[in-house]
Amino acid sequence: MTALNVPAFAMDISPSKPSASEARPLTTVPARATSGPGGSSAPVGATLIDIDHLNFFYGASQALHGINLQIEEKKVTAFIGPSGCGKSTLLRCLNRMNDLIEGTRVAGGKIKIRGVDIYDPTVDVIELRKRVGMVFQKSNPFPKSIYENITYGLRLQGRSNKADLDAVVEKSLRGAALWDEVKDRLNSSGLGLSGGQQQRLCIARAIAVEPEVILMDEPCAALDPIATVKVEELIQSLRERFTIVIVTHNMQQAARCSDKTAFFYMGKLIEYADTRNIFTKPSNPQTEAYVSGRFG
Amino acid sequence: MDAPRPAHDPEFLVNKTRVRVLGLSLDDAVKFFFGGNAFISVVVLTLITYFLFQEGFGFFGQNQRSLLTYRQAGLEYVDFIRTQESGHTALTRYISDLRLRQFNELTTVRKLDLEAANAQLAAFDEFSGQFSDGVDPLRGLLSDLTEQATAIKTKFLVAEDKKVERQQLVDAGKSVEAAAVKIDQIDFPAELKVLTGALPLYRTASAEFAAKLTAALAKAPTLSNPELATRLIRLRELTSDYIATFPATLRSLETWDYTRPVPWYQSATSFITGRQWLTASFWQDWYGIVPLFMGSLMVSLVALLIAVPFGVGAAIYINQMASAREQRIVKPCIEFISAFPSVVLGFFGIAVLGQALRLLSQQEWLAWVPGFPFSERLNILTAGCLLALIAVPTIFTLAEDALQNVPKAFKEASFALGATRLQTIIRIVVPASLSGIISAVLLGLGRVIGETMVVLLCAGNRIAIPDFTAGLAVITQPVHTMTGIIAQEMGEVVQGSIHYRALFVVGLVLFFLSLAINFLAQKIVRKYRISIG
Repeated sequence: MTALNVPAFAMDISPSKPSASEARPLTTVPARATSGPGGSSAPVGATLIDIDHLNFFYGASQALHGINLQIEEKKVTAFIGPSGCGKSTLLRCLNRMNDLIEGTRVAGGKIKIRGVDIYDPTVDVIELRKRVGMVFQKSNPFPKSIYENITYGLRLQGRSNKADLDAVVEKSLRGAALWDEVKDRLNSSGLGLSGGQQQRLCIARAIAVEPEVILMDEPCAALDPIATVKVEELIQSLRERFTIVIVTHNMQQAARCSDKTAFFYMGKLIEYADTRNIFTKPSNPQTEAYVSGRFG
Repeated sequence: MDAPRPAHDPEFLVNKTRVRVLGLSLDDAVKFFFGGNAFISVVVLTLITYFLFQEGFGFFGQNQRSLLTYRQAGLEYVDFIRTQESGHTALTRYISDLRLRQFNELTTVRKLDLEAANAQLAAFDEFSGQFSDGVDPLRGLLSDLTEQATAIKTKFLVAEDKKVERQQLVDAGKSVEAAAVKIDQIDFPAELKVLTGALPLYRTASAEFAAKLTAALAKAPTLSNPELATRLIRLRELTSDYIATFPATLRSLETWDYTRPVPWYQSATSFITGRQWLTASFWQDWYGIVPLFMGSLMVSLVALLIAVPFGVGAAIYINQMASAREQRIVKPCIEFISAFPSVVLGFFGIAVLGQALRLLSQQEWLAWVPGFPFSERLNILTAGCLLALIAVPTIFTLAEDALQNVPKAFKEASFALGATRLQTIIRIVVPASLSGIISAVLLGLGRVIGETMVVLLCAGNRIAIPDFTAGLAVITQPVHTMTGIIAQEMGEVVQGSIHYRALFVVGLVLFFLSLAINFLAQKIVRKYRISIG
């Protein structure tokens, strides 16, 4: 079973869409010119991430079966589905976080970001993760000050100009709607913030390195409703600058914040369409059963 | 209204088949068994602590009496002169050293044969002889006074023994025999007259001594080599400084008063700041912990300097970088080190390591290393190396635990921001587990400072404060340690004697040291423990 409402082939990158991070090459070798078969049909948004027949294994058990999915630039894409359906696994494939787990492997299929296969041996994983940031289910600020949390990624890149860092800290915290709450205590520990603030700090930390894509793995699962609303509003404001992929258990959340929704079940992509369509007139009976709350 | 259900309703007897042990239900029996074990361990701990304190604190009273006797019997008085005399001994050593250097110069640089060299040194030898003979009048007086003071002390001790004997007889109810025990009352002022009466003699002897030294120096030969000539000038300075101390000694002797009381705290300060641990001496025993403490400290420091990089480094590697296979092999290996009985390690230290280190130190291409070459096979370095071996498993295991406790979420977040593994380790994992690592090191220190067998066998057992003027070479000197001294001397001392109690106080010091280290380690871990989620 493959995706239904999407073009069946990959989309070429549009040269008219420059990005701040394009100057940094993802690979150490020149990116190969890639073009999908018949890549001239024009979808609504440009495809940024092209997942092509991806199979993924944890040891001997297959977690993802032939996933085909095109994620569009500057849109919010939601992955929904019951527990264990593979949505988080797919998310973690997008910045190769699964590499950290022993015994995992991609067996067949490709993930291309701007046409570059990120599982190619020449790809610099470090560079990839700078460009595909991630926010986790449980907020995980470092046991350092708020300021150091935000500047961590920049310092890794060797940036140490104080004025420069100060500017990024303010910009990132404003971007994460946290500036007004913490501007007077940038040097106190990030662990001293409330749960919702910690999660927004993690988002600020992720956007500080100016990634192209932000992956969010159930970012509101551990938050109370008020904090959840704030993070959702934040996601809305971030869509203008970043491509966001969000995994969520909460269907209302998917309906509220996303442009496109992908429904997974048993390691397979069942349906992928505009969010409006998924929740109002799903084409697949399984999707219909899940979004209407009959299982999951 | 219904009648209440009778209590012995058969359907309600749920307790019927309970097993009972000693009249208790099984649950209660188990509870009391484990509770009893816990209680016994607390009681035993209390008893040990009580015993340690009771035996240890007796030392201070005895030490004060000992110091009082030292004063009353005039030993202190005689020691003023002895100090003066030992100053002269140091100077003659300096002169011998000078002669040796000059001799080497003559034989190696000027290529003289032995006889000719000795002939050249005749003038120097004459000077040296005059210089060292100068002390004779003082030395003669000193030896007389020493004999007299010893006699007074012996008399006093005999009287004390008699007192004890009488007391024992009284306790045994033999009052007639007790009355028969004759106790000589010591008339200290009368006895001490002999000593203080010698003051005029001392005055003349001291003056004569000073005059002889000055005369000898006036006739000192000149040395051609500029370096040795400077040394000779230095000798003049040292000697004139030395002679300048004579009036102070005289003043001490004149103002000395045997009735001056020994303040109560002096028994403690003489222990804590005492630079001598001298036992079974014919003259006066000294119980000063400083040489032992410094010994323990130096050995432990060397051990930690070696063990911390190894232990912490191995922990970081195994926890953060090694493959599962390496972990399976290396972890048990490091932990297995602690399975060696320490006496085996000590034996290894004597038979292999000490020998090997000495051999290594005598290699010519290593002569630039401070302290090399050394001749003492057993020294701080040898003991420190072996203690490091003992500390490594402790430090490794605890540091690895601390690293393991760093939440995985920190690492993931770091990787997701584009950090390499090394950056993640240095910037996130190690800082987050630093408190645990520090406490691991502290517990390693606790392990090392309490270790006995290895230091007893390998530290060299020379009771002396390490000579820090040697710089880094200090670690090639033999020392004795607090644990070593207890193990070595406890078997030979008379129970209840001051020496016996002094060893207990050393034990107490060790006890408090361990307590402090453990307390600190726990405190650090608690205070900086990171909680997430």
